[in-house]
Amino acid sequence: MGLRSAFRKIWQTLSSIKTGVILIISVVIFSAAGTVILQRPMTEPEDMQRAYSPAMLRLLDAAGLTDVFHARWFIALMLLVSLSIIAASVERFPNAWRFYARPYKSPDDGFRKALPTQALIPIKHEESGLSAAERALKSLGLHSERIVRTNSFSVFAERNRISEMAVYIVHASLLLIFLGGIVDALYGWRGFLTLTPGATGSQIEMKNGAAKSFPFAIRCDGTGEETYTDGTPKRWWSKLTVLDGGREVEQKEIVVNDPLVYRGVRFYQASYGRTGKLDRLIVDATPVKALTQTPQQISLALNQTADLDGDTSVQLAEFIPDFVVEGGHVYTRSNDIENPAVHLIVASKKTGTVVNVWLPEIPGIAENASSPYRFEPKDLKTGYFTGLEVSHEPGQWAVWAGVVLMAIGLTFVFYISHLRFWAVPVHDGTGRVALWVGGTANRNRDAFQDKFKRLAGQIQKELKSEVAASLESNAASLAGR
Amino acid sequence: MARAQAEQQPATGTTLIVMVGLSIAFLLFMAFLNVVKSGNLLSEANLLYAALIFYAGAGALYLGFGVTATQSYIRFASLATWAGLVANTAAVAHRWYEAGHPPFASLYEMLLSFVWTLAALTLVAEKRYGVKVIGTVTMPVAIVAVVLMQLLRSEVRPLVPALQSTWLHIHVTLAMLAYAACALSFALAMMFLIQDRMKTETFLAATSVFTVGIYAAILTRFEGWGGFSVVAWDVENKSEMFLSRGVRLFVTIPDLGWLMLLVFAAVAAPLVLYAVAHFRKNEAFLAAANRAVFISILLQTLALIFFLVRARDGRYPSLDADGLYPTALAASPFILSALVGGIFANLLYLLLLWRREDLEKLLPDADALDRITYKTICIAFPLLTLMIAAGAYWANRAWGSYWSWDPKETWAAITWLVYAGYLHMRITRGWRGRRAAYFAILGFAVVMFTFFGVTYLLPGLHAYA
Repeated sequence: MGLRSAFRKIWQTLSSIKTGVILIISVVIFSAAGTVILQRPMTEPEDMQRAYSPAMLRLLDAAGLTDVFHARWFIALMLLVSLSIIAASVERFPNAWRFYARPYKSPDDGFRKALPTQALIPIKHEESGLSAAERALKSLGLHSERIVRTNSFSVFAERNRISEMAVYIVHASLLLIFLGGIVDALYGWRGFLTLTPGATGSQIEMKNGAAKSFPFAIRCDGTGEETYTDGTPKRWWSKLTVLDGGREVEQKEIVVNDPLVYRGVRFYQASYGRTGKLDRLIVDATPVKALTQTPQQISLALNQTADLDGDTSVQLAEFIPDFVVEGGHVYTRSNDIENPAVHLIVASKKTGTVVNVWLPEIPGIAENASSPYRFEPKDLKTGYFTGLEVSHEPGQWAVWAGVVLMAIGLTFVFYISHLRFWAVPVHDGTGRVALWVGGTANRNRDAFQDKFKRLAGQIQKELKSEVAASLESNAASLAGR
Repeated sequence: MARAQAEQQPATGTTLIVMVGLSIAFLLFMAFLNVVKSGNLLSEANLLYAALIFYAGAGALYLGFGVTATQSYIRFASLATWAGLVANTAAVAHRWYEAGHPPFASLYEMLLSFVWTLAALTLVAEKRYGVKVIGTVTMPVAIVAVVLMQLLRSEVRPLVPALQSTWLHIHVTLAMLAYAACALSFALAMMFLIQDRMKTETFLAATSVFTVGIYAAILTRFEGWGGFSVVAWDVENKSEMFLSRGVRLFVTIPDLGWLMLLVFAAVAAPLVLYAVAHFRKNEAFLAAANRAVFISILLQTLALIFFLVRARDGRYPSLDADGLYPTALAASPFILSALVGGIFANLLYLLLLWRREDLEKLLPDADALDRITYKTICIAFPLLTLMIAAGAYWANRAWGSYWSWDPKETWAAITWLVYAGYLHMRITRGWRGRRAAYFAILGFAVVMFTFFGVTYLLPGLHAYA
């Protein structure tokens, strides 16, 4: 088999409907597998190991079934789908284009015989028949034209010829969407950026752990949360400023569903939370010797020391967000502020003594009893962070354009029908003239049958009224000019 | 009314209509009394109750036709459906006004929208396409949905940040319309198969397979020693109980598992008998299979009753935590739907078995049904396309990614591909009739999996519906 015929065979297979169907079925099966089998990007490794035995997991990983949608063979499958669409369209387009570009305005004998939707209406003479047809078509909303034949005229009317191209518009739109997806897969990126008020960032952390920086910086000027009365979040907002080349170029307060876009990079409000780090501790201090005295209110940041009087000072030594005592030491269970504890060091300059005060008083560790001051915690101001989802998806414009094009294409495919009507005077052997009327539609054939019947009926009505009009005018001319 | 009086009606005909009419009047009167006491006439609950009464009346009349084959039932059923739709519209409007957003934010609101769409489409199918018996299928579904709604949290819940977007409303509206159109095409394809002289025993096999599938899914909750796992219910907060973020607490109802297993055997029996009849070419087994269907309906009803009773009272142990916890019907909406759905499908099969000739007279001919099915899918497919596109655009604005191969997204795409396959086969290969009908039924099965299966069986981002 020569190279040329081999290529021919491949092309024929690729452009066949059968191939298309097999490819669609394959995409369906593998996509379904990707929803049923746990996928690595979204699942924690421990959950993966709990769900599958080590042997099964090795098998799934090797086959790429644990990350189906990014596996090479899946991408190859999608490419094959695109190629099959292109091949099928290219194969059939020339014919469709010929049909579209060269309307068949004058039907020949064979065509007229074979057309399923036709009628034969007896007429007096050609001209009255043709003009009746033209008037009837006009009443149906169609614009007709006179076609010159060998020794007579005929009438041709059509509408919505673009409908023949509709299916190619739909498939082209699908390819456009795929193109957008491919561009984003190759050149797009996304990651997460956490900022606290006042902080600036120009680097994000992506899903696979790698860092990606963008050529400008984002500064968080403030962030907050509004909740409903039952505590569920109502609104997360962040005031962001873009610093490009050291200058402030743009500012926006973003909320969920309303991102900041700058130079193709999009910043989304994704989450909001407490950092687990202490901003300030507000505490009331009263000297033990004078408990009725109004307490001093001290505000301390971590490791900050404040003077209580000329001799004593207090320092905030430690802040434990979620404390637990084990083996005589205080540890934190997590970074969430579930069970906070603070460690204050009260020092006396004169005596040089140092007392470890813990709030709350942890037995066995706290020395609160020996402190010269009583402390009462008033407020714990913790830091808040805003979680930003950052993405760059240059291909999305192709995707949205494809969607719009597909909507247009589908409208044409389902609802716009290419109508064609012909009216040709025919002479049978005996010298009588009849008007052959025929029509086609490329969709909604049952609605078309009704339309055709109406056209035929309308033509006959026009012929009758013409006869009546001519009789009247004859009578008038006879009666009295 | 005048038209009805002009018709000759058998005694049984008038009786049922009068009974249904009186019941509706009675229930409305009782509700009115209650309302007068509380002084709150047009509350959402009352409007919904009125809608339920009318839909129940319509359903009774449609099913009454199924049993007695009296034509005039259809007309009154239609009127009752109209009345129910009016009440339902008022309920939707009330909810929208109270909440400040269209009813799409919780399961309760989704069911409200769904029931409205179902009633509206029933009337469209009757008027526009002349398929007068479609209410036999849709009204019972509407009744079940409204009853389910009574069990769910109905407070107006404020929207969490991700749901505060116009695109939410657009996406969900398109989804409801698309799924409703797909459901309609499924019903029409089934009717085509009836008119296309598909053998009644094939329907038996299909119904049996469907019910077996439901009970197989239910039996995934079977615990080794005969218990049945359900999600625990937090009575104070009126929500499911969670162990930790995203992880639900399950309790085990003892012995209910054995009952479900028994019923599974009962629903598998007709299928087995059908297989024997088919391979041994012995008609007697078919008669036995039909009797088995009848018995299975009784046992399925038993399973439903036991489930209702056990779920409402009692505290049960859990494998994951110490102590006893309560559960509620609201904690298991899918199990409830599955049980009711199974009974309902089998009842429809019996309707076919007993009233096939009458149904065939009432339905349009096979050719017409084939074309109408195709037309319905021509409506459903663009809606599906727009739904996916709107969802992608919304996801892009909310989460920064228009396609993340999330299970719900992926299955929506699969649904789209299946219907695209139907259209390809029809347009380019000229597939008509039986093959097209099977394809349409397959498409709807995928729609059901996308809507229920993904939420219930697979994890993902689509936690809302």
